[in-house]
Amino acid sequence: MCSLQRYKMAFKVLNSGIFTTIQDQGRYGYAHLGITNSGAMDEYAYLWSQTLLGQKNINALEVMVGLKLEATKDIEISITGADLDFKIDGNSLAIWQTHYIKKGSILSFNRRVYGQRAYLAIKGGFDVPKKYGSYSTTLKEGIGFRLRRGDSLISCSGLKPPIPKSNPIFRVQPKYIPDYEKPLTLRVVLGYQEAEFTAEEREKFFNSEYEITLQSDRMGFRLKGEPIKANIDGIISEGIAFGSIQIPQDGQPIVLLKERQTIGGYPKIGTVLAEDCFRLAQRGAGCGIRFKEVDWELFQ
Amino acid sequence: MIIKRVSLNSVIVYFKQDISETVLNQVQALNTLLQKLKGIVDIVPSYCSVLVTYDRGIYNYKSIKEVLNSFDMGRFDFIEQELHNATECSIKSNLQVIKIPTDYSKNLDLERVANHNNLTIEEVITLHTQQVYRVYAIGFMVGFAYLAQVDPKIATPRLTTPRAKIPKGSVAIADTQTAIYPQDSAGGWNIIGSTEFNAFEQFSIGDYVQFTKV
Repeated sequence: MCSLQRYKMAFKVLNSGIFTTIQDQGRYGYAHLGITNSGAMDEYAYLWSQTLLGQKNINALEVMVGLKLEATKDIEISITGADLDFKIDGNSLAIWQTHYIKKGSILSFNRRVYGQRAYLAIKGGFDVPKKYGSYSTTLKEGIGFRLRRGDSLISCSGLKPPIPKSNPIFRVQPKYIPDYEKPLTLRVVLGYQEAEFTAEEREKFFNSEYEITLQSDRMGFRLKGEPIKANIDGIISEGIAFGSIQIPQDGQPIVLLKERQTIGGYPKIGTVLAEDCFRLAQRGAGCGIRFKEVDWELFQ
Repeated sequence: MIIKRVSLNSVIVYFKQDISETVLNQVQALNTLLQKLKGIVDIVPSYCSVLVTYDRGIYNYKSIKEVLNSFDMGRFDFIEQELHNATECSIKSNLQVIKIPTDYSKNLDLERVANHNNLTIEEVITLHTQQVYRVYAIGFMVGFAYLAQVDPKIATPRLTTPRAKIPKGSVAIADTQTAIYPQDSAGGWNIIGSTEFNAFEQFSIGDYVQFTKV
């Protein structure tokens, strides 16, 4: 936690939205205790929220739709990720850039235009305690911070914001802004129990379209489509990597993400590349996705 | 020891796919070595495997494999032996056995376990407390340690329908494994007692654990 003398209240939560949490890049080095990585579901967008403010992996709000905040001081923010119809005092504003917010302004995330998760960061970050080396929130572990109506968000930076006129606005170049509506093909490195899937089953897997179901959350995305059969029903429980594709007995793949369980006993056909997991995190239920095998050696 | 690729920054080390103390000692030895190694991001040891996530700035698939293989060839067997000796001694001196004071009167399924195995409740308690268990895996939730093996005489399958809420501190049996629920949770294990022992963050793989009746 940062210095208490210098803290300043930054926002008052008028409406907490669907599920707004504080996240960073995640919690590492504790998986052997059963503690999951957690962290920003779309790490790419999160990292840009930090870079825009000239900081590295402090923290940000992971925002789904419905969040409404009142600025309780003049403050510089960055917004990246999903377009949730972001408005300040009712005026739509561009995202993937920084903004200067006047004290008393109302920030709102009104509806999903494209994508699922937006990241709102402030200079110096939000003043919440770190746990196990990270600010990330994992509700089921009782770790971290989920916003409630009436909460006050404290800023770590006590510096007076400079006069807006002299303040440059930083924007992410359009070529680096992902298109969340583009059809998504997840690149897969085969591994784990790949040998337990016949050539025929693999072909099915790589040639079918799967749909994201409503049972998709920070733990993992459950897909629906052509069922895949493994030669085995289960394995002795083992560690689950980020992006692992688990195939339970019903044959419907589950891509395991930031809040996955640390060990599990279902066969896994391979692992989705991390960057593609970040893209997946911005797709909602009903969206179709495909898988493509990639040669891991290309990435060494 | 077999090393398999998992993702661009992780590999899994498989030992003999067998739930046994010999394999557990190997898992524990590798876990101990990796905890000290720089450039390792996360380690998930389990019954007969260790998932290793590494920093791609330091290792690639080839170099991490070399490091892991170097353990296998030299130091590794030695450390396994050392660990084994150390634990043999500590068991004797009772130093490293984590004791779990358990109130068996606070149970939901002790009768079920007794009936299933044609034993009296007292016999079940005796068989459960006389065994020294080891931590074979940690997961499912934070601090949930899978302890094995319970005496086959009291092994009992999971409930057909899991309970929606099992209180924190519940001591439970499923098949030949036993465990403590570190927090309130849904679950299908047979609840045979309750402990005040705070299981959160207490266990690591390979630890020795024994329940005592209070």
